[in-house]
Amino acid sequence: MNDTTRYILRRVLYAIPVLLGVCLIIFILFNVAAADPAYTLAGKNATAEQLEEIREQLGLNKPMLAQYIDVVKSAFTFDFGKSWSTKQYISEMIIQGAIPSLTLTIPAFIIATFISIVFAVIVAYYRGKGIDLFIRVTCIAMMSISSLAYILFFQQILAADLGLFEIAGYEYGFPNFLYYVTLPIIIWVILSLGPDIRFYRTLILDEIYQDYVRTARAKGLSEKKILFKHVLRNSLIPITTYLVVQLPFLILGSLLLESFFSIPGLGGMIIAAINSSDFPVIKAMTVLSAVAYVIFTLIQDVIYTIVDPRVKLK
Amino acid sequence: MFKKNCIAIIILMVVGVSCTKKESFDEKVLNVVVAAKVKGLDPVNAGDTYSSTEIARVYEGLLEYHYLKRPYELQPNLAESMPEVSEDGLTYTFKIKKGVMFHDNECFPNGKGRELKAQDFVYSIMRMADAKNISTGWWLLDDRIVGLNEWRDKYKGKSVDYDQKVEGLQALDDYTLQFKLKTPYPQFLYSLAMVYTYAVPREAVEKYGDEFLNNPVGTGAFMTGKYTQSNTIEYVKNPNYRDVFYPSEGSEADKKAGLLKDAGKKLPLVYKIKVVIQTEESTRWLSFENGNLDFSGIPKDNFANVVTPSAGLTEEYAKKGISIEVTPDLDITYMAFNHDDPLFKGNDKLKQAMSLGYNHDEANKLFYNGTAVLAQGIIPPGIGGYNENYKNPYKKYDVEAAKKKLAEAGYPGGKGLPTIKYETTSTTVSRQMSEFFAKNMKEIGINIEVVTNTWPQLTQKVKKRQAQMFGMAWLGDYPDAENFLQLLWGKNAAPGPNGSNFNDAEFNQKFAKAKNMQPGPERAKIYAELNQYASEKVPLILGVHRTTFVTKHSWFKNYKFSTFNHGHAKYYDIDLEKKEKMIKSGVLKESSKKPASVE
Repeated sequence: MNDTTRYILRRVLYAIPVLLGVCLIIFILFNVAAADPAYTLAGKNATAEQLEEIREQLGLNKPMLAQYIDVVKSAFTFDFGKSWSTKQYISEMIIQGAIPSLTLTIPAFIIATFISIVFAVIVAYYRGKGIDLFIRVTCIAMMSISSLAYILFFQQILAADLGLFEIAGYEYGFPNFLYYVTLPIIIWVILSLGPDIRFYRTLILDEIYQDYVRTARAKGLSEKKILFKHVLRNSLIPITTYLVVQLPFLILGSLLLESFFSIPGLGGMIIAAINSSDFPVIKAMTVLSAVAYVIFTLIQDVIYTIVDPRVKLK
Repeated sequence: MFKKNCIAIIILMVVGVSCTKKESFDEKVLNVVVAAKVKGLDPVNAGDTYSSTEIARVYEGLLEYHYLKRPYELQPNLAESMPEVSEDGLTYTFKIKKGVMFHDNECFPNGKGRELKAQDFVYSIMRMADAKNISTGWWLLDDRIVGLNEWRDKYKGKSVDYDQKVEGLQALDDYTLQFKLKTPYPQFLYSLAMVYTYAVPREAVEKYGDEFLNNPVGTGAFMTGKYTQSNTIEYVKNPNYRDVFYPSEGSEADKKAGLLKDAGKKLPLVYKIKVVIQTEESTRWLSFENGNLDFSGIPKDNFANVVTPSAGLTEEYAKKGISIEVTPDLDITYMAFNHDDPLFKGNDKLKQAMSLGYNHDEANKLFYNGTAVLAQGIIPPGIGGYNENYKNPYKKYDVEAAKKKLAEAGYPGGKGLPTIKYETTSTTVSRQMSEFFAKNMKEIGINIEVVTNTWPQLTQKVKKRQAQMFGMAWLGDYPDAENFLQLLWGKNAAPGPNGSNFNDAEFNQKFAKAKNMQPGPERAKIYAELNQYASEKVPLILGVHRTTFVTKHSWFKNYKFSTFNHGHAKYYDIDLEKKEKMIKSGVLKESSKKPASVE
């Protein structure tokens, strides 16, 4: 067993207490802090007897420890059971919701990252010059506008007035989904550009002032060669960290975009579950987010060893 | 640079052009929106308006409301005629229509839908009573039908035997259904027009199990495949739908509005219904303005642009062929006092002072654009017991009178009165309403602390009697004053619908007597008395009866608003030629400044 395999195994084992902790937090939040779901499920004409029946059926009358064990069991087996309100298997709901979410978030994330890095390299190359200032000011201006304003503006102008895109909706299957996700993707990209360009610019500039860059210049290497061959490669570690950490959140979709464009993704599913006190769905999504976070940080560590051979996993 | 810009624009245009779908005008498709997620299509779980509207496209009940008549009037649907009722008002015997077929579905042999029988209603109502189904409609029949509660209790937590006979719920033969009630219950017939009691085939429930709510099989005018909980539901015309015809009776106003033009035509009139779920008001309105929806409500923020002060349509929208329908709804909004709290129990003067100190007119202007009807009592207009001449003495805004009452209540200038907690939901409008109430109360010397909650939190506080004051609205389940007055009946205290926990012996006694009386002038008189009595005791600061504004496109025909919109899509029609002309002309996208090209 080599060092990397041993490291991965160790990290997988570390994930167990992390998951147990997540389960405990979920349990406390839903069983102590949140409202009793029986009141929501029983409807406006509830009787005390009906409330009791509902609690019994949902297992809310079980001893606290037994309820905690149920949460832990579902987290480790990924068997989250059925939704209280839609009666669907939660795993099916997640798959069904993940598709629209991912068809929106993955292309948007890739395009936004690519454009941001390109712009960041350009501004880093022209650092301190007019173009750098212009892009930085534009980024700040773009970040200062509320995301809601972008959504409402583009939906009105590009979709409703010019008729270039569908106003809202979603259809499964390629290429049908493209009719509906293109405008949200454009908005996502625009929303991401401001913070991302500034962030990547800072990362690249951090590298530009390193000693090895001065050495390269002293050796007479061209600015372009230094930037693309040395600086960009060394910036990959923090860039990778930033990107990998964002990946688990892509699965959760975008609450605002999904809501305004009526895309049946996981974001909307979570909101509906919160509004109807559908605890099994909320628990499943919280556990899955935690697992995804653990997995992606592990992947991140492995990727380090690829982008920077100096990094060794032990 | 110019060349590069041109290329960029061309790319954008190419991408853009390929990102819209071409609208087809080949078949009559009704485009409808719902504002919240539909939880499923099982009648026993028709607890919210959105789900019940969708369920009623597929399923049907024994009775329904006449589409055009107002006040609302029940008529037979799957029943052959109105029931025979025994003299003591306890036995209801229905004849079921012959030849009504369930939709074709895999649950039946060879996938062919079978005929509906009286036994299907027995089964469907037993499903509603089955405790494991947690039907939010059980209150309708709880302790009403002979033997049904006993059957429910017997199988609680056990495997249920649907074949066991229940004395008060029997199919006498394939087409005769009999209900025996424990006590007279005149509202019983309304229950049979409610979605909870609609007929479902046992085969489908047994085949699909827990997933039955996503695999609807009814007898309705429309049918749909597996419901995937996505944001679109598509229904197609049921090819085996029995002969049902558009009504030929209606008022003069209906005739004038063109609502009788299709009288006698076989229903449904459209081939397909496409329902989209759009939770954002602005998205719904944009979709409507672009012709993607046939009708829509009006968002609060667009109200002034769309509706004139006289409740008509502004020129901009009228030019687009859009029309408006303004109808009072059967509902009531209110701010409730929790009578478990010693501060309010028996202290009518304090509650009266607070009602007098609340600027009802201003609230109506601010939150309902001045269009709602100020509630003088708990009974809304349009149903027996509503007295249009009655003016609630505590409904007027009179700061001086309020201060005087407050002093009489023992709190001159608010001195000695603790801060009152007012619980509300965290939506923007709820918070604005609460702040307005707090500001009004401050003027008479009462301190209000606004506490915001999620809906489940607010529900829990009210049901557990922990909310000192709270804001709420009630939409009528059926057009009978009993459904509103029961909000103040002591026996219905929390966790029941009487969240104010008002428990007044005189009110309780009169209500208990009236609720079992058959409809008529005598019962209406008692209802009116109860309405007035309760109004002056001020268990609630009465708000308004809301008005519904619906805008419709010129191609959308036969729409009439109903609080009980169950299965009404079968009456709607689409003028395809007009729709194509309007959409292709681009008139819908023209602003008010440009002249409209299509009239």
